[in-house]
Amino acid sequence: MTAPRSGVFGVTVGFDVEQAVLVVRGEVDALTAPTLGATMGVLVDQAHPNLTLDLAALEFMDAAGLRVIADVAARLATSNRILTIRATPANIRRILDITGVGARVRFEDPDPNVAALGTEQLSGVRPSAVVSRPTELSADLARVGSKPNDSVVDAALRLVTVLAGSTVEGADGVSVTLERRGQLATVASSNDTVLRMDDHQYATGEGPCLAAAAQGHWFYIESLAEEDRWPAFVPRAIEEGIASILSTPLMSAARPVGALNIYSNSERAFGPRQQELAAMFASQASGILIDAGADVIDEALGKRILDALLAREVIARAEGVLMARKHVTAEDAAATLHRSARTAEVAVLQHAAAIVASACDVPGPDA
Amino acid sequence: MAETLDVLEQARRDVGLSVADLWMRYFTLGGMSTALEMEAILYGALLANDHDRDVIAVALNERFAELGGDHPVPYAGDDPDDR
Repeated sequence: MTAPRSGVFGVTVGFDVEQAVLVVRGEVDALTAPTLGATMGVLVDQAHPNLTLDLAALEFMDAAGLRVIADVAARLATSNRILTIRATPANIRRILDITGVGARVRFEDPDPNVAALGTEQLSGVRPSAVVSRPTELSADLARVGSKPNDSVVDAALRLVTVLAGSTVEGADGVSVTLERRGQLATVASSNDTVLRMDDHQYATGEGPCLAAAAQGHWFYIESLAEEDRWPAFVPRAIEEGIASILSTPLMSAARPVGALNIYSNSERAFGPRQQELAAMFASQASGILIDAGADVIDEALGKRILDALLAREVIARAEGVLMARKHVTAEDAAATLHRSARTAEVAVLQHAAAIVASACDVPGPDA
Repeated sequence: MAETLDVLEQARRDVGLSVADLWMRYFTLGGMSTALEMEAILYGALLANDHDRDVIAVALNERFAELGGDHPVPYAGDDPDDR
């Protein structure tokens, strides 16, 4: 390696009243992105209401850095927070915009050169001529950007609680607990006792509902009088006149996101038949959440974008190798890559990976 | 409907990819246009350069290959009198 460049990576974190500001210096690449990711991760976990990323001193960012931004934006979105990016370089802004990540972050003081540079990079495509008609994808992204209308989801979940309450024999009350903005809350309940039962669990930090929502499998208390798990919660439940509880997790993409809770004033109220019905209603409630575009979709789409960014990186590197080997422009290198992949009858990504690997085989100056 | 479809749009319909799915593939392969812009290219509302059209063509050809087919969508400069 030659003398260290001016762009040594560094992150400075500053705090003011309501926000944490990360100032990133130098180059964010595969080597330094994990540090940036870890730093941002801590701030996300600490639940600062606002997180700002200042890129004024950024010199370079590759796909690894973009992944960190996409990941942080997605994580903040799950708790209804938003990432602010200050002084975004035009090329970074462009990638964030076309991946849809841009719709999930807030850009501060947008650079007036952004549009011009963006157009230049498109080389031939004139964004101004684009009709503004929503596509399937942008609809998808819009759903990710703005959370589903809570009240519609809540109404559907309330219907599930009513149905469960009237279908499951022995049920004296039903509630649905859901993880929202990073914490569990009751979003639908059939009566006040049930609402208080849920509140007792949130207050004591324990109980079958919390356990089901955290661990993703069901919990059944046959008899509260004989229950020795959750010592803080159980006495409060008995005081409410409840004798048995069945909590079934709500799953979204194999991840527990809440629980359907059925309470009874009788002991051993729920046999195998009732448990089966509870599972059915829980799966219905899960389906409503999925249809409503809960966080899962957010994650799935985020994953696709991250995979795509990685693939682009490999292809760009292969094109770089071809440019150096054949002394051609980027576009000619891309054309060469496309043709040779077609001739070899392999996917372009696979072909690109082979080219990058072949370049690595050649011992370099610092090998 | 007398007008003929762009070869790219015809191919997209042939392989049954939604615009969103095609765009994700195009983006993965290094495309730099938004989904809207790509769709406008497919419909002939935007003129793309050779590189952009080629990346769309590659995305479509790879889908054809996945379905057990050939690479029917030509790339820019794919001429019988090649060179």
